[in-house]
Amino acid sequence: MIIPKEVKQKPIEYIVLGVIFLIGLLLYFFGPFTAHGRRVVVYCLVANYLFWSLIHHYRRGDLSLSIIVEYLVMALFGIALLTLSLL
Amino acid sequence: MKLSLSHYFIPQEKNNYRADILKNSFLLLLVGIYLVNQSFIKYLTVSRPGVLGYSSEITAQKVFDQTNNERTKLGLAPLKYNSVLSDSASKKAKDMFADNYWAHTAPDGTTPWDFLKSAGYKYSVAGENLARDFYDTESLLKAWMNSPTHKANIVHSKYQEIGIGVVNGTLGGIKTTLVVQHFGTPVAVVAKNNSGTADQPSSLQPEEVITTTADQKAISPNSTVLSQNQEKYINPLKLNKIFGVIIFGLIIVTLFIDGYITLKKGINRMTGSTVSQIGFLLVILLFILYQQQGVIF
Repeated sequence: MIIPKEVKQKPIEYIVLGVIFLIGLLLYFFGPFTAHGRRVVVYCLVANYLFWSLIHHYRRGDLSLSIIVEYLVMALFGIALLTLSLL
Repeated sequence: MKLSLSHYFIPQEKNNYRADILKNSFLLLLVGIYLVNQSFIKYLTVSRPGVLGYSSEITAQKVFDQTNNERTKLGLAPLKYNSVLSDSASKKAKDMFADNYWAHTAPDGTTPWDFLKSAGYKYSVAGENLARDFYDTESLLKAWMNSPTHKANIVHSKYQEIGIGVVNGTLGGIKTTLVVQHFGTPVAVVAKNNSGTADQPSSLQPEEVITTTADQKAISPNSTVLSQNQEKYINPLKLNKIFGVIIFGLIIVTLFIDGYITLKKGINRMTGSTVSQIGFLLVILLFILYQQQGVIF
């Protein structure tokens, strides 16, 4: 199995990210939420993902505006497709 | 052709070792395309319901049939269609649209039982289920059956009759369809059975709202045999989902290719973490794939 170098270098950070995703999935599918509540879960997940990316790249020493924009666009992309399809 | 497209998916010198499709401008373009597509589908479903049939998948007939199927599975007697109950159910749905609320009790304090009484239905036992935002009847019934309070109404042994209202309208600024089930047993039946103990309607607690799209004319008020819309339409929800999945699939596959090639070639570049982006998009993809129709409250 190929484990990317970035994961090998910072395994704890990727475990934290995995936990964030797992909690989001559990809350979304098994939480006692209405459609609005599920949407809030998605927004929280995305916010946590963005926060993780900031910390991750700051610790890696390559935090830059272009990287921040890349994550923001990716988050917007995910949110837009998901929330629009939930309407 | 092969070469001209490769820079979209494969990191190479030509695209500064980042697949073009993963660049911010391209992602924003995809969001734009999705927005246009979604708006177009919405336009068709709302203004031209015949094209995609957004208002046609759920009918009162189907709700009636499937409700009785659920009862039959449990060995209960099927409910009889009652036009007076259907009238009260339709009036309840119209009242929610008119007063812009979504609840069992109206803002002015009108209860479901008031609708039953005003329609002229004298009940000994009664209940109400509400639903909105569902496209197909199967999902609608499944959601109700998964909710203990709504299921309690559907499989209540004391109910003998049912009326269904399926009404299209605008609620909270959003075009939608409300489905209302009114259950009941007339007083006369209970008197005949000499049970003597009539349930209090409020003790039944049967409420739910699911947004659905069904055509009100599917039920003919004074008939036990309901008309049925046999036409098959494309489900706009599925159409949206398919389109979203295709776009996501494209991005995720490209991310995999991009990540694999940069890893194999040992390319160093200033970009976000491919692993985290793949993970994030996979999670969102799961949400899209398993999103639920309707709203239950």
